[in-house]
Amino acid sequence: MRRVLWILLGVILLAAVLCLPQLDAQQFLANGLLGPVPVPADNPQTDQRIRLGQQLYFDTRLSADNTVSCATCHKPDAAWANHNSTDTGIKGQVGGRNSGTILNAAYMRYQFWDGRAGSLEEQALGPIANPIEMGETLENVVLKLNAIPGYRRQFQRVFGTDVTTEGIAKAIAAFERTVTSGPSPYDRYLMGDKKAMSPAAVRGMDLFNGKAHCTACHSGPMFSDQSFHNIGVGMDKPNPDVGRFKITNDPADWGRFKTPTLRDISLTYPYLHDGSEKTLADVVAFYDKGGIPNRNLDPLMLPLNLTRPEKADLVAFMEALTGTMPDIPAPELPE
Amino acid sequence: MQMRLSQVLTFCSICVALLLGSLLPASAIPVFARKYGFNCTMCHSNFPRLNDFGQRYRQNGYQLPGRENEEKTILETGAPVAARINGGFDYDRFENTSGEENIRQFRITSFDVLSGGLLGKSIGYLVVYPPKIEGSSGIAAQPGTVEMANVIFSRLVEGRGSVRAGRFEPAYDAFSVKRRLSFAPYEIYDFTFPGGIAFSDTVDGIELADRGKGAMSYAAGLINGSSSDRLDDSPQDFYLRAAKVFGPGEGQTAGQRLGVVGYFGKARPMLGDGSRQGFDRIGVDGSVNFDHWNVAIQLLRGNDDGALWGTASDVDFSGGFVEASYLPATKLVGFGRYDWVSTPDEINQDIRRWVLGGRYYFADNLAFHCEYSHRRQDNASEAGDATEKFYFGGLDFAF
Repeated sequence: MRRVLWILLGVILLAAVLCLPQLDAQQFLANGLLGPVPVPADNPQTDQRIRLGQQLYFDTRLSADNTVSCATCHKPDAAWANHNSTDTGIKGQVGGRNSGTILNAAYMRYQFWDGRAGSLEEQALGPIANPIEMGETLENVVLKLNAIPGYRRQFQRVFGTDVTTEGIAKAIAAFERTVTSGPSPYDRYLMGDKKAMSPAAVRGMDLFNGKAHCTACHSGPMFSDQSFHNIGVGMDKPNPDVGRFKITNDPADWGRFKTPTLRDISLTYPYLHDGSEKTLADVVAFYDKGGIPNRNLDPLMLPLNLTRPEKADLVAFMEALTGTMPDIPAPELPE
Repeated sequence: MQMRLSQVLTFCSICVALLLGSLLPASAIPVFARKYGFNCTMCHSNFPRLNDFGQRYRQNGYQLPGRENEEKTILETGAPVAARINGGFDYDRFENTSGEENIRQFRITSFDVLSGGLLGKSIGYLVVYPPKIEGSSGIAAQPGTVEMANVIFSRLVEGRGSVRAGRFEPAYDAFSVKRRLSFAPYEIYDFTFPGGIAFSDTVDGIELADRGKGAMSYAAGLINGSSSDRLDDSPQDFYLRAAKVFGPGEGQTAGQRLGVVGYFGKARPMLGDGSRQGFDRIGVDGSVNFDHWNVAIQLLRGNDDGALWGTASDVDFSGGFVEASYLPATKLVGFGRYDWVSTPDEINQDIRRWVLGGRYYFADNLAFHCEYSHRRQDNASEAGDATEKFYFGGLDFAF
C-alpha cells in the first residue's frame, strides 16, 4: 500500500520536473517575444536607404494630384494607422478597407488585408498605383521623382541608378522596417517583470489563450498566425467583400482576410478589415457572438460565452500589448 | 498504524498536487494544450467537460479545424503524456433493511495516464490507461485495464468523415462519461442486464462519423458488445446516432443540440449456456444553452430479451437524467442532476439519484471538487432497498 502511494507521489514529482524545462519549448502556437526584424538579403538596411525611404513615405508627390502620401493613411500620430473606418484617397475617393498599421509590418508574412503582397517591397508600390488611393502610374512616379534633383542624387548614391520603381519599393520597405514598437507591458511581463501587467490583464491573458480562443489564430510573437480566416465581417451585407478569394480564386478563401497583429492594437482603432468595430470592447462582443454566420465561416469561430468581467479582462490584456511608439518625425523633403 | 500512514500519504500527495498546480504556469497542462501552448480552457469549459471548440477538435481527429496543414505530429512536439489524478475526503453512507454502513476516508479515487496526438497527417490516437492499483484504505482499486486506445483517421473524403478504431468512448454516449462534471455516474448509462454492456463502458470496435451540412452529425459503429458473449462470437452490436445543432456552436456551451440514438445488440444470458438474445436501446437527448447555463437531458428506453434477466417476458425499462450546470466564471461551475431508472415489476430495481456539486479552479488544471449525491435503489440486493448518501470534497488535477 505504502509503496503504491510513494510511487504515485514519485510519478507526480517526476512528471512535474520533466515538464518544467519543456513548458515553453515546441508549443508552436504560443505567443511570445519578437525577435530581430527580418531583412531580405537583397535589400540590406543602410542609413541612406532608410532616410530615402522615409522621405518617400511622407512625400505626397507620389500621388497623382500631389495630395496623398503613405503617411496620409498610415499616420505616425495614429500609431501608423488611421482612425477612420476606411480611408480617403485622391479626389475624395473612399476605399473599402481599413488602413492597417505599418507598425511591425516587417514581421508579417503577407501585406494588405487580402495578403496580395508577400513582402514590404511588393506592398510599397501597391497604394501608389491604386486608382482610389494615390492613383498614380509607376512610370509617372519615376518621371516625377527623376525630375527632383534631391531624389535623383540619393538614388544614385543608394542604388547607383536614377529613380526606379524597384528602388522606390526597396527604400520605402527599408524605412518601414524601422517602424517598430518598443516593448509592451506584455513583453516586460514575459521578460520577468510580473508587475508590468495589471491583474486584469493577466487574467485576460489566460482567457486570450484559453476560453476566448484568441490564440488559435492570433498566435506567435506577432499575435497573428500569418494566415487568413473568414470571421464573417460584413457577411450580412448584400455584396460582401470576399477578401482573399479575389486574389487566389480558391473557394476556400471566400471571405477570408489576413489575421492582423494585435500588437499596439489599442492605438489602431477602429477594427476589422472594414473598420466596423470602434472599440476593443466591440471587437470582443463581436467574437463573443461567434462572428457572423456565412457559408465559409471559419470552424474555429464559435460563441464564447464570456462574462462581462471576462470581456473587460480581455480588453485589459489587449491594451497591455501596446508598446512604445517610434519617434520618427516627418523629414524635410528633397527639391 | 498503516491506515493512518496511508491517509497521511494520501493527504500529502494531494498537497503536493495542489502545490505543483499553483507553481506551474497555466500552460503546464495535458497533452493537447501543452502541444499548442494553450490553456485548458481552450477546449474545456470547465475541465473535464469539453466546450464547443474542444468538441470540434475531438471530432476533427485531434487537429485544429481549418489548420490541419500546420499541425505537428507527436515526433515534432513535446512528450505526449499526461496524467489525471483525483482524491480527497469522501463519506459514503449506505443503508438497507439489514442495517447501515458508513465509510469515511481520505483517498485517491482515480489515477489515469493519458497519451494522445497525431501520428501523421489526419491520423490521431488516444490512450487512457488507469494503472493497476490494489485497493485498500487510502486508495481506490483500479483493475489496470486500458480504458481507451484508439486510432482515428479523419478528413477521409473531401475533408470530411472519420473512422475511429480500437477501444473508445462511443458516439451513443451523448454526454461523455469520462468528461462529466460529477463523480456520480449517469445511472441510465450504467443500468443493464447481468453481464450486459453498459452505456458508460468504453467499447472495442470501429466507428464511422461525419458532420454534414446543416450542422447535422452522424455516427455508426460496430462493436464487440457484451462481456457475457463468448470470445468466438462475432461482433454483432451496432449503433447509430444522429444529432443536429441549432444555432452556432456544438451544443456544448453554445447552440442547442438535439440527438437520437439507437443501439441494437445481442448477448448471452449469464445463467446457463443460452444462445445469444437480442436487446436494444433507443434514446433521445438534448443540450440546451442559454446565457451561462447548460441543461442536458437524456431519455433512454431499453428492451431486453427476458432470458438476459432470467425473466419469462421481455424487460422494458426506461430512464434518463436532467442535468443543469451554471458557469458564472471561468473558475467556477455548479451543477445539479436528477437521474432515474424505471423498471418493470419483474425486475423492480427502480433507481433515483440526485446530485449537487461544484468545482472551483485554482488553476486551469487543478480543481477543488465538492459533491453530494443521494441514491435510492429498489431491491438493490437480497437485503432489499438501498439508500446511499455520498459526500466528496477533494482535488481533481491534470498535468
